Amino acid sequence: MRLLPDMLESMKIAWHSIIANKARGALTTLGIIIGIVAVTTTMTVFNGMQTQFMQSAGAVGADVVYVSRNPWIMMGDWFLYRNRPNIDMQEAEALEQAFRGRAIVNPNVDTRRDVRFRSESLGGVDVIGTTEKMLAMSNRIPEVGRFLMNHDVRFKKNVVVLASGIAEGLFGDVSPINKEIDIGPYKFRVIGVLEEQGGSTFGGPNLDRQVFIPITAFIKSFGGRRSMNVDVAVQAPNIDDLDDLEYEVIGEMRKIRKLKPAEDDNFTINKLDSLLGAFNSIVGAVLGIGLLVTGIALFVGGIGVMNIMFVSVTERTREIGIRKAIGAKKRSILMQFLFESAAICLFGGLIGISIAALIAAGINASGVMPANLSGGIMIAAVVVSIVVGVFAGLVPALKGARLDPIEALRYE
Amino acid sequence: MQLTDRNGSILSLRDVVKTYEMGAEKVHALSGVSLNMNRNEYVAIMGPSGSGKSTLMNIIGCLDVPTSGSYSLDGEMVADKSEGQLAEIRNRLIGFVFQTFNLIPRADIFHNVELPLIYGGVGKTKRRELTERAIEQVGLTDRKTHKPNELSGGQRQRVAIARALVFNPSIILADEPTGNLDSRTGEEIMAMFDRLHAEGQTIIIVTHEDHIADHAHRVIRLRDGKIESDKSTTDVAAA
Repeated sequence: MRLLPDMLESMKIAWHSIIANKARGALTTLGIIIGIVAVTTTMTVFNGMQTQFMQSAGAVGADVVYVSRNPWIMMGDWFLYRNRPNIDMQEAEALEQAFRGRAIVNPNVDTRRDVRFRSESLGGVDVIGTTEKMLAMSNRIPEVGRFLMNHDVRFKKNVVVLASGIAEGLFGDVSPINKEIDIGPYKFRVIGVLEEQGGSTFGGPNLDRQVFIPITAFIKSFGGRRSMNVDVAVQAPNIDDLDDLEYEVIGEMRKIRKLKPAEDDNFTINKLDSLLGAFNSIVGAVLGIGLLVTGIALFVGGIGVMNIMFVSVTERTREIGIRKAIGAKKRSILMQFLFESAAICLFGGLIGISIAALIAAGINASGVMPANLSGGIMIAAVVVSIVVGVFAGLVPALKGARLDPIEALRYE
Repeated sequence: MQLTDRNGSILSLRDVVKTYEMGAEKVHALSGVSLNMNRNEYVAIMGPSGSGKSTLMNIIGCLDVPTSGSYSLDGEMVADKSEGQLAEIRNRLIGFVFQTFNLIPRADIFHNVELPLIYGGVGKTKRRELTERAIEQVGLTDRKTHKPNELSGGQRQRVAIARALVFNPSIILADEPTGNLDSRTGEEIMAMFDRLHAEGQTIIIVTHEDHIADHAHRVIRLRDGKIESDKSTTDVAAA
């Protein structure tokens, strides 16, 4: 309890000091504002990208492993995968057979084709052949109409589900349901439109520029069985079983391909985790550099505060002497100046956060990048401001606290 | 070793030496000062500049510690104390009054007087009560929300006295308290010290002016870091 009046006094002095030196305080604060704006905006953009990435990653499904020929993210070693055989439909069916009753297995194939509705045409659209099982594996939900159903697949129907971007591109405001579109030379009837996913992230597929047709219709129209490369999605019954499932899938696939124990896998298991890892390593590096550069701005701001605190301590040498003579301890003087510098920085930080919020809104409105100023970032910015204040104030405050009261009282 | 006697002695210095290093040279500001003061004494410390009276005042005021020798104030052995403990002793046992008043310019009168209680960790209610009483003792109740620069020199010194009194210290230590005042105002301030003494306060005034020293009941003269004379004038003042 003894500390409390002392602390309140320190806050009061700090407040009076800031009020008494408004212009000086404002200039000093500017450095902190710039620093906090820079750091917060960097975090905000990173956060926005991450949010968007997670959203599009939802299409992959967290509880799904994909058996593919190549890894999704190839880091310059493509020659390792060049001679791998494609995964064909027979292998996909064998895999499905192996997991019957244990896990849902869904084969996917894709190609790029032009799609057309009357005079509207879109080039190089991602055409995906899949089954009704896809619906359960990803977060892609039809906004209007329905997704593929079992009988569409069984009867090789020429029906198509459009991603939102395609529906908009071909139909505008007109309802696409039951309209016939051309995919390459073939006619397909639109049965549904998916919810918007929010574009692509970092060169990944643009999830809003896809169309989905029954895999059977895909094979009939676009694929001789030989040339196709199938991606086989295997969904774990429970997300905790994903690691076990991955292990079993590798085992089954090796059996299907009759690989000898000494041979390496000639296929890849892809999953959300590997995407996340790649995302984090790339964007994390960019964020790291961004924070380093913006951190320098904040550091310079902190130096400004330190400078002004030295001035403040020198100006108030006599006052420090008086306070010490009547019983202020080092601790009290230290607190007084630390509160002052922390308050200056906190004030700058709050203004900085407000400006960063405006910038984030501007970035979002521009549509160039996503930005997301979360509560966590705001709290972090506040904490960082205070920490910068304490560090900037520490040396000047120590200087003040260590003054000899006799010398200080004599100071003119 | 208990140097303080409960009934009488409030401070006691034994062979106090204070040496400053000025470059290679050693300056003996005090070279062996011993003195004893009792409760409710009214003492003037005099001496020309360079006599060591400022150094003695700093040591008595616990702003500084002796190079050698011992000093006890109200039972506290000052020489072995840490800086923090010295701050506590100054806070609890000593009320300073300075020549230049030394008030905090931005703080109002009430806050200036309240300050020692804040550093002493006194709770808000008690603080208010003690501060009001001290301000009343110096007759400035109607000025307590004013800033120091709105007051005359005499009033400022009364604020300083209220601040010195507020924690009920063992001694009041005044350094040339009338040095910045005209003689009439100076006399008013001295009358206030006289009254406080009459109420039981122990008062030490450092001065070079005889008419100020005349108010005291004991005059200690310093020269070249030693006590030159130590005379009681009680009979004169009592007359």
